[in-house]
Formats: sequence, structure tokens, C-alpha cells
Amino acid sequence: MKNFLKLSLIVSFSSFLFLAGCEDYLSVNDDPNNPTEAPALGLVTNVTYESAQNTYRMGSITSYYVQYLGSPNTGSTTDNQEASSYGTQWFRLYDTLTDLSDLEILAEEEGATQLVGIAKVLKAYNLATLVDAWGDAPYSEAFFGEELNPAYDDQENLYTEVFTLLDDGIQQLQMESTISAGTEDFLYGGNSAQWIQFANMLQARYLNHYSKQDSYSPQDILSAVDNGFASNDDDAQVSYFEDQVNPWASIAISNANLILGGWISEQTVEHLDGTTYGVEDPRIEFLMDTTGTGEYIGVENGAGRGDAQLDGYSFLTTETFYAGRTSPVLLATYTEQKFIEAEAALNATQPVRAYQAYLDGIEAHMDKLGVDEADKNAYLTDPAVAVGEAGLNIDLIMKEKYIAMFLNPEAWVDARRHDYSYENMDIPVNLNPDLGGEFIRRWVYPDSEEQRNVNTPDVSLLDSIFWDQ
Amino acid sequence: MQKLLQLNFLSLFAFIILCFTGHQALAQGVVSGTVTDADSDETLIGVNILIDELDLGMPTDAEGQFQFSNVPVGEYQLEARYIGFNTVQRSVTVADGEETVVNLEMTMSNAELDELVVTSFGLEQERKSLGYSVQEIDSENLTVGNQSNVVSALGGKVSGVQVTNTGGSPGSSSRIIIRGINSLDPGADNQPLFVVDGVPIDNSTIESTGTPRGLSNRAADINPNDIESVNVLKGAAATALYGVRAANGAIIITTKSGEAGDTQINISSTVGFDNINKFPEFQEVYGQGWYFGQIEDDFWPNWGPKYEDTDQEYHDIWRDGTQTGVQYDNSINVSGGNELTTYYASVANLQQEGVLPYGNWDRTSVRLSGDISPKENFSVRSSINYINSGGDRVPADRFMETMMYWAPNEDVTNFEKEDGTQRGYYNDGSSGNNPLYGNKYMTYKDNVNRLIGNVTFDYSPAEWFNVLYTLGTDFYSDQRTEITPGPRGVEGENVLSSTGYINETRINSRDINSTLNLTFQKEVTEKVNTRLRVGNDIFDRDFNNIVSSGDDFVTPLFYHLSNVRNISLNQEIRQRRLVGVYGDLLLDYDNFLFVNVTGRNDWSSTLPEDNRSFFYPSVSVGFSFSDVMDLPEYFTFGKLRASLSQVGKDAPVYSTTDTYNTPSQYPLGGSVGFTRSNTRGSADLKPEQTTSVELGTDLRFFDNRLGLDFTWYQSNSRDQIFAVPISQATGYTQTITNAGEIENKGIEIQLTGRPVQVQDFAWDVTVNYSRNKSTVVEVAEGIEQILVGSSFGYVGSGAAIQLTQGDPYGNIYGRSYERYYPDNEEPENPTHLDEDAPLLIGDDGFPVTNTDQLVLGNTQPDWVGSINNSLSYKNLNLSFLIDAKWGQDVYSQYDNFFTAFGITKNTLDREDTRVFEGVTDDGQPNTQEVWLGQGVGPDGVDYGNGYHRNVKREATEEFIFDASYIKLRNIRLAYSLPQNFTSDIGFRNITLSATATNIILYTPFEGFDPESRAGGAGSNADGFTALDYPGVSSFFFSVNLSL
Repeated sequence: MKNFLKLSLIVSFSSFLFLAGCEDYLSVNDDPNNPTEAPALGLVTNVTYESAQNTYRMGSITSYYVQYLGSPNTGSTTDNQEASSYGTQWFRLYDTLTDLSDLEILAEEEGATQLVGIAKVLKAYNLATLVDAWGDAPYSEAFFGEELNPAYDDQENLYTEVFTLLDDGIQQLQMESTISAGTEDFLYGGNSAQWIQFANMLQARYLNHYSKQDSYSPQDILSAVDNGFASNDDDAQVSYFEDQVNPWASIAISNANLILGGWISEQTVEHLDGTTYGVEDPRIEFLMDTTGTGEYIGVENGAGRGDAQLDGYSFLTTETFYAGRTSPVLLATYTEQKFIEAEAALNATQPVRAYQAYLDGIEAHMDKLGVDEADKNAYLTDPAVAVGEAGLNIDLIMKEKYIAMFLNPEAWVDARRHDYSYENMDIPVNLNPDLGGEFIRRWVYPDSEEQRNVNTPDVSLLDSIFWDQ
Repeated sequence: MQKLLQLNFLSLFAFIILCFTGHQALAQGVVSGTVTDADSDETLIGVNILIDELDLGMPTDAEGQFQFSNVPVGEYQLEARYIGFNTVQRSVTVADGEETVVNLEMTMSNAELDELVVTSFGLEQERKSLGYSVQEIDSENLTVGNQSNVVSALGGKVSGVQVTNTGGSPGSSSRIIIRGINSLDPGADNQPLFVVDGVPIDNSTIESTGTPRGLSNRAADINPNDIESVNVLKGAAATALYGVRAANGAIIITTKSGEAGDTQINISSTVGFDNINKFPEFQEVYGQGWYFGQIEDDFWPNWGPKYEDTDQEYHDIWRDGTQTGVQYDNSINVSGGNELTTYYASVANLQQEGVLPYGNWDRTSVRLSGDISPKENFSVRSSINYINSGGDRVPADRFMETMMYWAPNEDVTNFEKEDGTQRGYYNDGSSGNNPLYGNKYMTYKDNVNRLIGNVTFDYSPAEWFNVLYTLGTDFYSDQRTEITPGPRGVEGENVLSSTGYINETRINSRDINSTLNLTFQKEVTEKVNTRLRVGNDIFDRDFNNIVSSGDDFVTPLFYHLSNVRNISLNQEIRQRRLVGVYGDLLLDYDNFLFVNVTGRNDWSSTLPEDNRSFFYPSVSVGFSFSDVMDLPEYFTFGKLRASLSQVGKDAPVYSTTDTYNTPSQYPLGGSVGFTRSNTRGSADLKPEQTTSVELGTDLRFFDNRLGLDFTWYQSNSRDQIFAVPISQATGYTQTITNAGEIENKGIEIQLTGRPVQVQDFAWDVTVNYSRNKSTVVEVAEGIEQILVGSSFGYVGSGAAIQLTQGDPYGNIYGRSYERYYPDNEEPENPTHLDEDAPLLIGDDGFPVTNTDQLVLGNTQPDWVGSINNSLSYKNLNLSFLIDAKWGQDVYSQYDNFFTAFGITKNTLDREDTRVFEGVTDDGQPNTQEVWLGQGVGPDGVDYGNGYHRNVKREATEEFIFDASYIKLRNIRLAYSLPQNFTSDIGFRNITLSATATNIILYTPFEGFDPESRAGGAGSNADGFTALDYPGVSSFFFSVNLSL
């Protein structure tokens, strides 16, 4: 009996002792699954990868506006340019900008100037992508959760920030770094020189966005181009992996499995097959597949496929250049830079440089795709293409740049700067009636942002971005 | 301490000793008599007459008589036991060669008054003294419907409790909610705590990732035949001592135990047959094709020409592709003991095949429990339960989806070619997925091994002092293997997946509970009694889930992680600890006024260190006024109850800090990327608070022949911990914070009665009725809505359940048809669909889609009710339970698909011309005739893809249905073989029974079983059918043998 009493006393005492030592016992709330700090190089991997993903995510919508792609269905919100909520694109851009902000701070603490530089350049890239679609956006109060309703910064100021980031990034990349990236950097494998070229190329690109503005300076663009890419080898691109295929390849694979997508627009087919310009472009076979009957047929934007058979149109397949399983997603290319140069030189009244850049741009793109020499030369010497210095005009440059920018969201910037005045580009048949017969000029803010941030401005699809005014 | 906690349970077997005793007889006599009801003088049949000392027992016969012959000479206690009556004891003296006649009169008991009910920690308390409502289900009532899942077995039997069966899949989960949903957090667990023999067990449902497979809620591992009783603790007052973990109520399960006396052996064998209890009405007129034309080798299964105009014929693919599910449930239990030791042992096996082919579930349970009392004031109890459960879980959602696409002109059961590849329904079998082929080859097996055990030391050093210590564990491993084959390597084959994949999941969960209770009792004065209980409670959980995913098989038909091109791994570890101390003071004044005051302090590992400790009190009063007031004769008993209580709730694990994580695509090319987590943790979290008020009364009339129990309650949950969505520009998508309030108000009525009791016949009836109203009082500053879940529908016609400030819980949002309002008039409630306003008809003559998200319905029922009847005539017993759930709406994804693909009879109007009732935008009634078909109509207008695809399937409104139902939950006819016959062949009792369950008596819902829900028991998005497993009705035949 006494033993039992003892036992119960021991048990109760140990319980109370237990409470005394309870603080330690209860300190098990540090997440064992996820670290509270990330390695800087781990952030580099993610921001380089996600920057490519963001390029795709934007392009997956904008490609319908510029009519690279067309929906197999009527009532498509992309074809018809509806005021859709592009929450994923918005979220992913902010997610990447958040990681870039963390990387910037972490790398600075560690004296890893190269990584600081990478962070700044990619921050500029993602920020400009954001502004080009939405205009004003939270930035100065964003990324660190301090303000739950972050204020919207003016879009022109954000562009100033883009240039500051690029300048600072170049400076940082020129310094000695404590840590350097290697294979963690999916864009350049830690090659600072190429990062600097990329930053200069972006400077040229964003300066070129001012083409409708008084402050437009072709000279500044040309000097940025001089420090930019030297060849296709410098292209800012992320090649995909067998176990994580190119996102356009995913679209193509899904399409093959009857989850329809990646159908080529009639506009693009006719651009390439000679219908519009009278010259057959050898690049057509690199961009799309033929139909079941061996032809190239595009779907009319907004019209859908009607009652046609599913193989009655051309679409992306994993055999095409842009939608191969391990194909790269291109952020910025030497080809694009050549067309920027051509445009700037034309505006700076340097026709010789402009014409050479125009031809170089076409050639670089064909080389990139792997067009064979004979086809390339045939195209380059076709009178519709080889128009000579005097024959070159902005329409021609934009026509060629259009193909070179296939699926890239920058094409939507070009389309707006060029007021969608491509040959035969018609408004889609079921255009969003709110647009009153005009092409879309921007996106509205996503529902998530409107619901969660009291500062979200009210905008319409026809409110142009500042550089488009 | 850890060491002490990790007691090896196997050693507990040592405590359990099986004991058989025999008896010798010398001189003998006879004991006989008749048992009658003292009130009516009617004889009572089936009364158990026992002579404990001799381990003798027999029931009274149809004349109410009993006779024991060959009773050894001596003095004995004769005992008569009968349900609903007070037990009677009488001493008898048996003399050699003589017959002793003992006639017994029994009085109906106030059983439920004196009855002890099981409350927190399995502690018993007199029902009379409770200041809150507790409802008990006994073993017979629990198992009457042969439900293999203890949660579904509770359905319709307890007021204030909602049970939802997620579908008719073998082993599928069932959801239980007591008094409404208390959390705004879409991911919160709103189900009660399950406690077996004083030890909490895990009842989580870990649904498969990817296509839902209908995994089990873990309480389904418990063999219902082992259960003696289930007590449902509904309000915060009832669960005050359990604290945090029982904030949603508690289900207290007491298992069967042995009794001193004869060894008892029960064998039970059941066979059951499941059939889909309700099908939608399918159209059999139009076949494969598009625009009424037959297009060879086309996807479209039902938009073609009439079968009668082609050489094709309709197959009833929905019935051909499903089957009768068969189940076998066999169990045996042995129990007995002597004064020192009792034991109970059981083995049970359940095997079930589903109505969707290739699905099955098995459960084997072995249970051993015992009680040793080496000293008068000391006993040790222990039980150990090993369970193995699991099965082949078919992808029901995918099965149903591919069923939708299947063209009924092709035989759905001819699905496999000779080379083992899939036969589709077009392009000569090379295109189109077959639902049965998918079920057969896209496999998902789970295999759970579980051990639930406990040991209790019960020691009373003095009459006024008791020490009770319980240590329990619930440990399980859940191994899951999911395989979807890649190509077999046959030229031109129709593949399920172009790569194939394998996922191996290993879940290990370990709970330890330690509870110490010290009880002090003191009679202060003659009239005042007190009881003080203080205790300590420790809960410790380790959870570890590792998933290895491989895809792209190298060699066909060899499914192993070593045979894939890509492998990725994921691991989730969770650790949670909780320490509580509590006190419970009961004051009893003259056995009619009872006051209970409790307090509990919890320390939780999931809260920030500074806010980790929190205290909450409760007070409840029971006043049995019939003891102090003069009441009419028929008014047997009356009691009032009142309680006010608070309960705290801690946070989900790891909510206090920010982290970085590795998105699932990594590693890529040897590099691993990191990103900042999208959830912002908070170091300032404090516990949630729920405050409840409960008032009730318990009234009995006519010697307990009629009873009424009424409860009103209100509970407000404030400072809820949940992730509030925030602007993504903040660098996060959500921030964990304390915010919001949800209110639940309701009533519960329980009516019990024995309207008829005459000789040989008794009729017992129980009516349960309850209604609960949940209101989202506040969400969070700056946040208007929280998304609980959403369901897909074509072209934006999906539905979402969202919580909106000021609205009831469970509103379903979606697209609707535009309504017409005359100039400048606004709808009265712009956020809700105004069904009374006329439809706006567009220029094309069709209703116009309104893409705004409006409230179209609500997922919560207006009320739930049931009537449970038991009728006994001699050896026959008929019992049936009718239950109803009323006023809940559901979004039927099925109907969205039926419309899109022209599957059901309501698409037969496709060649009709109609004038849609409504108003054109000039306010005039619509007069425009339109054709509902595809292509060019008789009026020469091109209608494109037609009304069903272009108009109807775009409006969520069309797919919101009232899912009210009245069901015959179960009906059972049981026949006990005559006693004299069974005893001749050596059995104590033989009962044969036939049972039918889940038969729909009425529902306005046109689809499958209106009760089936997608998402599993853990999902709070309870208003979607998705394309989930259809409900089944079952027929069972059972034999129960007692030795």
C-alpha cells in the first residue's frame, strides 16, 4: 500500500517538475522542414529560373494579343482581349522580385558583389516587365511585409529605378566578389562579363521603349548597344531540363493529349507563308508544325476552330524550336538587340548602320533557329527583304522583329509602340466590346490585388502605359 | 520523462491473465419464477436472470418465466436485469430436491437519471449532476446499420451532430461536425476529438495528392463491434477539461470489457451487398458526333445523330461499368474473468469490394484488454489494439470524368486489348480513355499498421481520495504506393500516361498522451457534497511524411523507383506538444443542485513563447427542480441546465516564423533553388478564444415513458488564427494573424418515448432535431472574403465557397443569368442572386450570362433530424432509422459535365424551339423563338455549338441544387432463435438479422446520392459533388452467435 502511495506521489511530482522544465519541452516550433535562411546561391538559382518562367508566363497571354497564337475556342479571353485577372503573372513577378530583394541584401552582407549585380539586373528585368503590363505598381513599400497595403509608385519613376538598377548592377558586376555563381546561375553560369552585356542590352531595350516620348534618345540606345551582346552566344536564356521541360513544350504535350493550346494564329502563318509579304520565310517550319494534311493553317483569332478536325490547324509541338522539351526560354537576344539598333539607327538617321543591323538581326535569328545557309541566303536576298538602305523603314524593321520575337512578351511592347500596325493584323472577330474596336493597351490589376490592397488604382484596358502615350 | 512515456506496451500483456473457473455440484434443487412489470402487472420477456455465484444465467421465456434446475444447495443472490428497468436482487435458499419459486416484480428505472455518463478523460459522472448536454449511443444502436466506419455509424443518432459520408467507396472517410464550424481558416480541423478509453486518438484524413482517392479517416480503423458506448460531448462546457484539442467537441468511445463470470464468446458474421443507390437519368436517344452529324472517329460522345438513324446502339455504360460491391465482416470476441481479473479479446476482419471495379478495402483488428485488481483499492487496466487496414483506392473522380467522355455506342467493359493496352472508344480504340482500364491500372494502395494502446492505474488510498493515471499511445505507419504505367512499348498504343509515374508515400505518426487525475471527495455537511479533481495532461505528437516520386519508366511494366528517369523527394515533419493542468470542483447540494466550476491552463508548443500559456474557465449548473417542487404525478423528473464556458485554441505548427523553401521542381541540373515562403509567420500570435453559453432542460413524464431534452446554445469564436490573404506585392500571399469572429447558434431537441408497451410488444422511439446557424461576424481588417474552396466548371461556371463578413458560413458563389431591373433600380441585395427578378434575354434570344460572382446558395443545412424506432415482438426486433438533412445546397460538377456533353435526359430538348421566359433590355417580355440545337436551326439561324454548350453550361446557377434528403438510414429485422432451442445446441443466443442501409426516400436532387461530397472528411469545402464516388445502399445478412 505504501508503495502505491509513493508511486502516485512520484508520478504527480514528476508531472509538476515536468512543468518546470516545460519551456524546453515545448520549444519544438522551429520549422524542421524549411530553413529560416536561404543560401545566396540557392536564391540565384531560383531567380534566374523564375525570370525565364515569368517571360513564358507573360508570353503565354501576350502572344494572343500580337496574334502569334490563336485560341481553338471562341469566347477566348486572351484572343478577345478581355479585362482578365492575371493574378498568376502578377504574383510570380512579385515573388521573384521578393527573392531578388532578399538576394540583394544577403549578397551585400556577404560582400558577394557579383550576386548583388545579378540581383539588380534581374530586378530591373522583372520590374520593367511588370510596368510594361500594369503601369503603376507597388515597389518602394513592397517585398518585406512591413506595409500590408503598399502604396503604388508612379510608372515613370519605376522606369527611372530600372535604369538605376541596371547602372548599379553593372558597377557591382565589375567589382571583386567574395562569392561567385557557377552552375547555380541558369543564365550565364556566373560569367560577369555576359551579365554586364545583358544589362547593357536591357538598357538599350528600355530606352527604346521611349520611342513615342520627347525624351527618346537614339544615341543613348546605340551606345548601350555597343556594350551589349556581341553574338547569339550572349543571349540571355534558360535552357530547360528533361525532368522539367520547357513550359511551351508542356503546352505542346498537353495539346497532343487533347488539352488544347499552343495553336498558331492565322496572322503568323500568313506572315511567314508568303500570303502577306509574298516571300516564303524558311523559319516557318521551326516555329510550328504542319496540319494533318501537311499544310500550314492558322486559326483566326477569336473565331475558334469551328467544327474542324483537331489536326486541321498548325500548333506548337515538341519538334519546334520554341517548344522543344529542353528548348531555352529567351529573355533577351542578340537578334532583338540588332533590331533595336536598326530602329535607333534609323531614327538617328544612320541608314547604313540601320540596314546592316536589320540584316544582321534576320541572319542572327535564322542562325539561332538553325536555318540552313541556302535558305537563309535566299530569304536575305529576296527583294522583299533586301530593300537596301534607302528602302528600309520602321514597318520593315518591325515586321522582321515580329518574327524574331516569337512568343516573347516584348513583342506586345513593340506592338503597342507600333500601334499594332502590322500588315493585315485585324482585331479579333469577337473583340471585347469594351475596347470599342481598339487593341488592348494594358492589363487591369488582378482581382487578388484589388481585393487586398486599398491603394489599387482603377484603370481601363485602353489607359496606355506612359511610354505608349 | 521521455523514457517513462515510451513504455513498452508489449509488457502490458503480462497484466492480462486469462482465467477459467469450473464448478462442482453435489446436492441440487430448482429455482423458478415469473417476472412481471410492477406497474402494469404484465409479464416481462427476455429478462436476464442471473445467479452470479454459479455463473448461471438465462432469459425469461415468452410467458415471463424462468427455471434453473440442478442448482447446488446453498444460499444465493438471484439477480434480474432488464433494459429500462431497475435491476432486482433477491436472496434465495436452495434446498435439496425442492423447487424454490421466486416471483419478481420489476419497476421501470429512472435509469438515465442515476446513470453514469462518461465525460472528459473517460471519467464517469452522474447524468443528473451535469450542467450541459451529453448524448450516449450504446453498442447495439451504434452497430445496427453494419457501418464499418464508426463516424458514419453515428449518423442521425445524435442531435446537434452532422455526419457526412463522402461517398460509397470502401473505406472512404466520413466527416463529423458538432454544432457547426468554428473556424474561418479554410484548412482548419473542425472535427471533434476522438477519445478511446480515456486516450485521444488520431482521426485525421490524409487525402491523396493529385486525383482524389477517397482515403480513410483514421477513426475508421476502430472496429465498431469493440465499442460498448459512444458519448458525444457537444459544447465547450462538456469539453472544458480537455481544453484545446476538444474545442470542436469530443467523441468519447468506451470499449467493451470483460465481466466476472462465465466466459462469453460472441461470433458474428455478416455479408453485405452495395449498389449505387441513385443514378441520374441518362438520355439514350442521341449518339456520338457533333452538330447532329456522326463524325467517324470523333471525341464528342453524345452530340451526334439519333441512334435510331444510325446502325449504332446505346449501351447503359453507367450500369455496365459499375458493379455490386460485396463485403464480408467476421468477428469473434471472448470475454470473462473473475473478481480479480477480467479480460476481453477480439479479432475482426472486414473485406469490402467497391461498386466501382478494382476498388477494395480491408481491415483486420485485434484487440486485447484486461483489468487486474490485486487489491481492493487498486486496479490496473490496459488495452492494446492492433489494426491493419488499407486497400486499392480507385481514382473515382477520373473514372467518372472518363465515363462522361465515353461514347455509349461502344461497350465500356471491353477496355483492354489482347496485348494489355487500352481500348479507347474512337480511332479504332486508339483514342479516348476507358474508365475501367484507368481503375485497373492507375493504382493507389494504402497499407496502415496501427497500434493503439493504453495502461491505467487506478488507486484509492482513502475513500475520499483517488489517483488515476493513464498513459496511452497511438502509433501508425501508412504506406502508400501509387502507380500509373507508362507506355507498354506497343506500336500505336493508347496510353494512360506518356511517361508513367510511381509515388511512394511513408507516413509515420506517433501520439503519446499522459493524464494524471487526483480526485478528492468530501461531505461538508449532510446536504453538501464536494468533489475536487485536479489533473495534468500531456500530449506529444511526432509526424513524418516522406514522399518519393519517380516518373518516366525506363523499362515498361516494371514499376519500381529504381526504374525511373526522374526522382524527387519531399519530406514533411511536424512536432506538436501540449501540456495542461486543470481543476474541476463539483458542489452538490442535497442531490438536486449541482454547480461545476472548472479551469484549465494550457502550454502549447505552437504558440510564441510569450503567449504560450493560456487559461480558460467554465461554470455550469444543474438544477433538478422535480426534487424540490410538487409536480403532477405524470411529471416524473425535471431538470434545468446552464453553463458558460471558454476554451482556447492554439496555432497550427510552425506559424510563428518566416522560412525559405525549395520549390518542387528542384533540383534542376544539380542546383537547388530557394524562395521565401509565401506565408508570413507571426511572432505575436495569441490563442483563439471560444465563449459558449448553453441552456437546457431535461424533462421526463409517465415514469420515463416520455422524455424531452432541449438545448439552446450560442458560441462565439474570436481572435481566430488563420492566414489572411494579403497583397502579393508585400512579398507574401498571406499573413498568419489573429482575426475574425464566427458565431454558432442553435437548438437541439431530443424526444424519447416508449409509446406502446404491452405483452410481447414494445415500441421505442427517439426523435432528434437540431438546427444550427453559423455566421461570419467578422473576417479581418481590410479583408472582405475568405475562399474556402472551389470546384471546376466549364467556361468559368465553376463555384466557390467563400466566407463573407456578415453572411452565413458556407455561401456558394458563381456565375448566374443576368436579371432585369427597370431603370435605375438596383437589386435589393446586389451580392446575392435575385431569383424573383425576371431573366434578361439578350438580342440573340438567350439568357445573358452574368459573370459577377453572386451568392447562389449555401452549403449548410437548415436543420437535421431523425426518427429512430425499435419494435420488439417476442423474439423479433425491427428497428429503423429515418434521417433528414434539409436546406443545404450543392454545386454539382456532374451536371455541368452532363450538360457540356449531352449526357442526361434534360439535354433531350436539343431539337426544341423555345421562347425563354424573361424580359429584353427594353423591359418588354421576350417573344423571340430560338432553337436549342447545334448548327443551323429550322429558322435558318446558325446557333453554333447550341444552347447547352453556349448558354447553359456557362451559368453556375444552373448547377446549384437543393441537396435536401430524407433517407432510411437503416432498417434491421432481427430474430433471436428460441432459447430452449439454442441452449439445447449449446448456445446462449443465436440472432439472425437482415439490414438495409442508406435508402433514399426523398430528395429533390437529380444526380447521384445527394449526400456524397468531394474532398474527403477533412475538407471544409463541403458543398461540391465534384465527380466523386457515388453513394451506395447496402443490404446485409448477419448471424450472431453467443456461447
